[in-house]
Amino acid sequence: MKKKDLNLNTGKDGNPAYILYKGKIYDVTKSKLWAGGIHMSRHKAGEDLTDFMAMAPHGEEVFEKVEIIGELENEFSEASEDKKDSYRDFYRKFHPHPLMIHFPVALFIFGALTQIIFLLWGNYSFEKTAYYSLIFAGLTSFPAIFSGLFSWWINYDLTMTKIFRNKLIFSALLIFLSLSAVILRTIYSDISFQMNSVSVIYNFLLFLAAPVTIFIAYYGGKITWPS
Amino acid sequence: MIENDINRIKSIEEMIQVVLLAIPREISAYQFYKNAAEKALSESSKSLFKTLALQEKGHEAELRKILNELKSELRELKALLCKQSCGPK
Repeated sequence: MKKKDLNLNTGKDGNPAYILYKGKIYDVTKSKLWAGGIHMSRHKAGEDLTDFMAMAPHGEEVFEKVEIIGELENEFSEASEDKKDSYRDFYRKFHPHPLMIHFPVALFIFGALTQIIFLLWGNYSFEKTAYYSLIFAGLTSFPAIFSGLFSWWINYDLTMTKIFRNKLIFSALLIFLSLSAVILRTIYSDISFQMNSVSVIYNFLLFLAAPVTIFIAYYGGKITWPS
Repeated sequence: MIENDINRIKSIEEMIQVVLLAIPREISAYQFYKNAAEKALSESSKSLFKTLALQEKGHEAELRKILNELKSELRELKALLCKQSCGPK
């Protein structure tokens, strides 16, 4: 039997009540404990109950009284779930997102600080350092964002919530800010020595990138340590 | 009526976030106890870690069930709300 066929046998509308346990399908239609396809107002027929057994007040012996009518066929969706499991194992071992996110956070803040030092004391080396920091911060944002999307997919099934929505919006904003600032500084190499609107925009982009990256990291912290 | 639905949607979305963030914790705890059971030196500790691992698996299953129920309630509420506010006047 396929999973979708199992799901139809809910014990309702004249359908039999089947449940799945460790790959075997049991017919509980005649059981008083499964009247109307519901068990203890908690479990529904037509579902896989394998993982729920540890929470039950009884053991596997209850299945001895029930008839096995077949086994579940292995399907593509299960194979893809297995693949996700192997990705989860990889993620658990190497945790790429927490590893990658520290680079852009540190570099954006460092870039903003060195630009402040340049603006205060006029030392050109600091201005150049801010520019290079911005380039590397922008570059390291990509693996940080992609590893975050990867984590969102394998750990949270791409479910949209306030935290993930904010992280996505501000990550897109961060890419825009860093790319625009790098492009401006690359085209106008003396931009920091000018006192015009382009210079103001460059500094605005550079300084805004730091709090934006902190904001994204803050929401990442909310995933790791939810309140 | 619409305001009630909007508040309910907000509450469900918050609850989805709570349940969603809890699931990977249960998976990690399951892996932790499973590894501990493999490394355990005595039969009693092996058995304890196996039981704990299975319980974590059970928690994950319960949370996934709740998550699916919340998601379907949210879908239904949003569809209802859309019918009320986007439908022909």
